[in-house]
Amino acid sequence: MNKKEILTCKSTGTSCVHVKHSSGLDIYISEMKGFSSVYAMFGTKYGSVNTIFKTASDTEYTSVPNGIAHFLEHKLFENEDCGVFELYAETGASGNAFTSFDRTCYLFSCTKNYTENLRILLDFVQKPYFTKENVEKEQGIIGQEICMTNDNPQWRVLFNTLKCMYHNHPVKIDIAGTQESIAQIDAELLYKCYDTFYNLNNMVLSVAGNVGADEVLAICDELLKPCEDKGLETVFPDEPEDIAQPEIYEKLPVGMSMFQIGYKCVPAVGNLLEKNMIASIAVGIIADPASEMYNRLLSDGIINGSFTGDVFCGDGYFSVIFDGESEYPDIVKKALTDEIEKICRDGIAENVFSRLKKSFYGDLVRQFNNVNAVGSIMLNAHMAGAAPFDAIDIVSSLRSGDVLDFIRKELRPDRIVLSVIERSGNQ
Amino acid sequence: MNYNRKIIGDNIGFSTVIDEKFNTCSLYVNFITELDKSTVSEYAFVSGILSTNNSELKTFAELNERLFSLYGSDIHSSVRKRGDLQIITISSSWIHNRFALENENISAQMLETVKNCIFNPYAENNAFNDEAFRITRKDILDSIITEINDKRSYTINRTARLAYRGEPAELPSHGTLETAQAVTPESAFEAYKKLMQTAQVEIFYVSPEKDDSVADIFAENFAKTGRQPASFPFRSASPVKPAPELVTEKLDVGQAKIAFSLKSDSTDYDALYLMSLILGGTPVSKLFVNVREKLSLCYYCSCRYNEPKNSFIIDCGVEKENIPAATKEIFNQLDEMKNGNISDDEIRSVILALENGYTAVGDTPASYASWYFERFCDGDYITPLEKYKRICSVSKERIVQAARTVSHDCTFHMLGKEVE
Repeated sequence: MNKKEILTCKSTGTSCVHVKHSSGLDIYISEMKGFSSVYAMFGTKYGSVNTIFKTASDTEYTSVPNGIAHFLEHKLFENEDCGVFELYAETGASGNAFTSFDRTCYLFSCTKNYTENLRILLDFVQKPYFTKENVEKEQGIIGQEICMTNDNPQWRVLFNTLKCMYHNHPVKIDIAGTQESIAQIDAELLYKCYDTFYNLNNMVLSVAGNVGADEVLAICDELLKPCEDKGLETVFPDEPEDIAQPEIYEKLPVGMSMFQIGYKCVPAVGNLLEKNMIASIAVGIIADPASEMYNRLLSDGIINGSFTGDVFCGDGYFSVIFDGESEYPDIVKKALTDEIEKICRDGIAENVFSRLKKSFYGDLVRQFNNVNAVGSIMLNAHMAGAAPFDAIDIVSSLRSGDVLDFIRKELRPDRIVLSVIERSGNQ
Repeated sequence: MNYNRKIIGDNIGFSTVIDEKFNTCSLYVNFITELDKSTVSEYAFVSGILSTNNSELKTFAELNERLFSLYGSDIHSSVRKRGDLQIITISSSWIHNRFALENENISAQMLETVKNCIFNPYAENNAFNDEAFRITRKDILDSIITEINDKRSYTINRTARLAYRGEPAELPSHGTLETAQAVTPESAFEAYKKLMQTAQVEIFYVSPEKDDSVADIFAENFAKTGRQPASFPFRSASPVKPAPELVTEKLDVGQAKIAFSLKSDSTDYDALYLMSLILGGTPVSKLFVNVREKLSLCYYCSCRYNEPKNSFIIDCGVEKENIPAATKEIFNQLDEMKNGNISDDEIRSVILALENGYTAVGDTPASYASWYFERFCDGDYITPLEKYKRICSVSKERIVQAARTVSHDCTFHMLGKEVE
């Protein structure tokens, strides 16, 4: 029996349908009047960090090679008869997929034939086809993807940051793994991971745009194969609260040095979205382009317009990362620590807090202008253990004291790391 | 949706798109000018400075304080190339007044701010304010020297420079390090005045409701600039080199990158576009299916068409030892097209993909602005549906004929330093 509810955003009046489907799947549908396109995402809570797991029927934990979630994503695009891209080519849809640290998502965007595209999506994700031959073929393609990202300085500065922060947590490992780790992947392992994580109780479907909720649900009723909740349990190696090392410098062929300054925080327990929003406003206040610190660094030529801050969080990890290009990353680090110390000492001015809150509210309202954004909002909120419109309510209810508490407790000088990509000398 | 374009000044078009589904108002002011070594960096500086401050909000901090207070409204600038032309865009967007929590008139305040940024920049003694100039200078110089950071786009840019050598399109959109370093607050301000007077201007306002005052603001203020606009050609096909050239660059990278410039002298642009998509524009294209999926040589191999220059760039990331195999297969697939080996399914799949794209025009404010800007450049104001019908009328024979006009112009290789 499906359980259906209508969720409405108080601030904007936007609404969506949430269904807990009898198959075990959570489904979110937003009918967006006036839009032509449809965006659908079918995601599983399975990302690169999920390398140790067991189900209720297993006696022992299974460990799998790094990069296997991403490898599995590639291979699901190939079924027994043809490739999934060929199926979408017959409808005109644009299909794609991605694997991140904590999720794998399959998606399509289209303006015509959405019901047919939804059928393709639901069908191929539930129908794995792995063979020795097609696994070996993919190793060459993914090997080149790994080579490509290894040459990407933005990717390298991030993973060096994560290596500094984390002793053991697999978030510090490249999502695609390494040439060596993907060489250990075979069809049997892929089926093991598929059967464990591609259980509908561990998945979510989000559909937004020019759709009818009843039509979507009818297709789901027809194609979703009921799943027994197998009691999936993922674990991570013990991770100390302190950082692994304070800094990493690496030389690459870049035009100027790039850096990340990260603060390792305590992983969220319970509502990940709320902690994320609090941390995001904290980052906004610290890296505020209207602030004295930002403008001093800009005026002195220490940073350029690329300087920004963000929250990086998921299952078992939470951090705040400031990012930019500078030949003086140590000066930026000192300025950030001084600014945070000043905020901890003096508090947050109410006018600054109010300005940031308004800005966040405006950004959230804007997202409802966009079909793809709405599809992502619904899926991301579910993955964070929240409802689609919770973010606006959380922002509205936040007080400056909540943000100040976060800064005081979490942005500690002994939890700071510096990752720098320097120019190689002879490029 | 209601679309209307009117002329509000000498060579100034103002388009309004009213679409009730949006909860934001968006403005795009495009200045179209020639790509010229003597002005390319100056105009890039103008673009940056106009979005940094203005005569009322004199610092970057003050401007940002205003934007954040107005619910995260934004003002951006961008510079890009289109054929042999330079397009400078100042864009802005804000949430509709009905979402204001304290009944602020966000729209009125943003229109005033944008107006001041464009028409009343902070300048004294015929020079831009030094602070805004220095911030912009650093951003532009840094963006030029960090072009190398993204190895794929760097490879494409280097290939384009080689392909268009001796033509305006050879210039990078922000100019070179040399031309950018030569810009002063005075020369940038002089360029600002010239841009306001001589550029073709196309403005787009996308909003859920009509507001005639927006066009009036621009008409009134441009009238004060002493317009003497020039007209610029939107197409400038690039001639193919007598023999293909190869340029190799060595960097400390693990993966080699290869790129090829191809050129055509055909004027059947729709057929050339379809040819490029069938060759390497989709995940079922000949390059994707053969170079990536069948031979497992790469993660990406694609072809893109630069219509104003009537040229193509194919690019691919491969192991150094696989360069000959990848090159052979890329040209083999091009030959397949020249030999007429194109299936009905291949044509059908790109037409369906294009239909998907054309039907989605209007789902974002930017898509409206982009669609109608491109139609202005084409001098052909057709709807997405009309464009789709034209594309559908392209026969296989026309695609094959178009493919046969394509010649190899040059090749760029980026190799790892250990490879000698």
